[in-house]
Amino acid sequence: MSTDDAQQEDTHVDIADGVDHQVAMVMDLNKCIGCQTCTVACKTLWTEGGGRDYMYWNNVETKPGEGYPKNWEESGGGWKSDDHSERQPGEIPEKERYGGDWEFNHSEIMYDGSDEPLRPQNVDPEWGPNWDEDQGAGEYPNSYYFYLPRICNHCTHPSCVEACPRKALYKREEDGIVLVDQERCRGYRYCVEGCPYKKVYYNAAKKKSEKCIFCYPRIEGEGPDDTVHATACAEECPPQLRLVGYLDDEDGPIYKLVEEYEVALPLHPEFETVPNVYYIPPYAPPQHSEDGESIEGVDRIPREYLEELFGDRVNQALDTIEKHRDRVERGEDSELMEMLQDKNPAQQYRLGVFDDE
Amino acid sequence: MNSAAGGGDPDRSWVGVVALVVLAVAGAAVLPTLTSARPANEVPVGDVGANATDPTAESWTSVPSVELALASAPSGLPGASNVSVQEAQVRAATNGSHAFVRVSWPDATADRNASDLREFADAVAVQFPENESARPPIAMGGTSNRVNVWYWSGGTSEELLAGGAGTTTSFDRSAVDAEAVHEDGEWHVAFTREAEMAGNRTDLSGERDVDVAVAVWNGSYGERAGRKAVSEWQYLAMGPGPQGPPYETILWAVAGLAVLFVSVVTIEGVRRTRGEPA
Repeated sequence: MSTDDAQQEDTHVDIADGVDHQVAMVMDLNKCIGCQTCTVACKTLWTEGGGRDYMYWNNVETKPGEGYPKNWEESGGGWKSDDHSERQPGEIPEKERYGGDWEFNHSEIMYDGSDEPLRPQNVDPEWGPNWDEDQGAGEYPNSYYFYLPRICNHCTHPSCVEACPRKALYKREEDGIVLVDQERCRGYRYCVEGCPYKKVYYNAAKKKSEKCIFCYPRIEGEGPDDTVHATACAEECPPQLRLVGYLDDEDGPIYKLVEEYEVALPLHPEFETVPNVYYIPPYAPPQHSEDGESIEGVDRIPREYLEELFGDRVNQALDTIEKHRDRVERGEDSELMEMLQDKNPAQQYRLGVFDDE
Repeated sequence: MNSAAGGGDPDRSWVGVVALVVLAVAGAAVLPTLTSARPANEVPVGDVGANATDPTAESWTSVPSVELALASAPSGLPGASNVSVQEAQVRAATNGSHAFVRVSWPDATADRNASDLREFADAVAVQFPENESARPPIAMGGTSNRVNVWYWSGGTSEELLAGGAGTTTSFDRSAVDAEAVHEDGEWHVAFTREAEMAGNRTDLSGERDVDVAVAVWNGSYGERAGRKAVSEWQYLAMGPGPQGPPYETILWAVAGLAVLFVSVVTIEGVRRTRGEPA
């Protein structure tokens, strides 16, 4: 698809009924280095203590891998089909599948000169966030892995909202952010069962469920210095792999990447919740032979695996990216490649575009 | 049949008729109490004279118990039709100033809290109409006909108001206390509230009978919210006058007289057939 073709195509955005605009995020998986700065930024801001220790509203897991909570992809939830009439039953993962709120020997090592390795104290944990980071898949010299940052997808058809018998979860009218009304929530946890991404968490201290709020105070102008800021996970990211804005902002890069070039894809579209967080799939080099030569045409990350995560459209997306890479290599222009490399904050975080309405 | 045994002595016949009449009248008067067949759905209200906030208090032993059949509530929630408790014992009492309701039900495990991600606390709720004169929809009342709910769950009690499923709202200050005991595989929870109250709270001062329904949740069976075992509407027989609806007394009287009439007609018929003197 050429740039001109893309712009001429009659695209429009489906956002949820009763929602004026839809916040969205695009994460470029080719840029994620797994440093967990987003995770820490989120945790420091929203989930320190008070029954939230085990929660990571933003987590980064390694793929292939079992994720956080362990095997969340097999925990049910979501919808049975795209008519959104019947929900898929789901489960509440055991605490052990998230990992615990362990105490570490930081002060002994940092201040007391201890030679002990840094490790959880008085427990012998068997799972935790990004536990299987070093595993990946494949055989040397063609082993592979990549990182997958995850937040709540603020879905267009959120099955967590539908699962709540008290309508405590709702999609905000102004921007489609999915929130838990803490006054209405009674801790029944049908939302935890109902979310196929396991991005709603039960706070056993408060007896309420909690989740990513897309940093709504920041995007409303209550960020540092009382100004508008993108989500903390996005702004703190060292390689700046996230775009934050509105899906229906047709002049913004998110709309173009998702709707026009179709290179930004939702995770597990078969859950049928229609996420509003999108991923540029990982574009890995080809496999190597024993003597280190590239084997052209043989993907290092098997397409079947990427199809499992992003659906069949991942093939078209990767083909489009490849075509545009070739174009730039030949010295031609590519709006797509420019967007994927852009470091212009005004384009990367477009949060004021509907302020005048 | 030996005809000599039934006939012959007119005096003996009259004794028989009189005996039947007495039996029929006495039966009509006494039978209802002998069978202790309370009117359907009645929960009698005992007078404990003292305090019955403790579910194991001695005063509860004198209060009659009613066994309520429980069934799953059709809430549409996952697993809603799969509930574990089939019946509950309910006792109600007053001491003049306060009303007490005690609910007992079998549950092998005492699930007292929800401190793990997959833990749910056992719970019980007693539901009354906000407006005593009209019976609300059984499933948490309706928008124009709300219910006042006394709720206990794993150590805490709440007073709630609801106008349909999913609308439960907590009172800012609960007027209800609850004490719970788990022994021998059974929960006993006693609710206490001042009897006379107004506003959104059901008045239990004895002005009239008051509808009541019960729900229980088995936490370790994953029961919470609309996944619960519920009773049909019952009523607390706390109004003045004869306990139970008036038609009941009339029905018993009509039945007694009918038995008497049939007996007399039969005896007279037999006697005439045999040609005995009247």
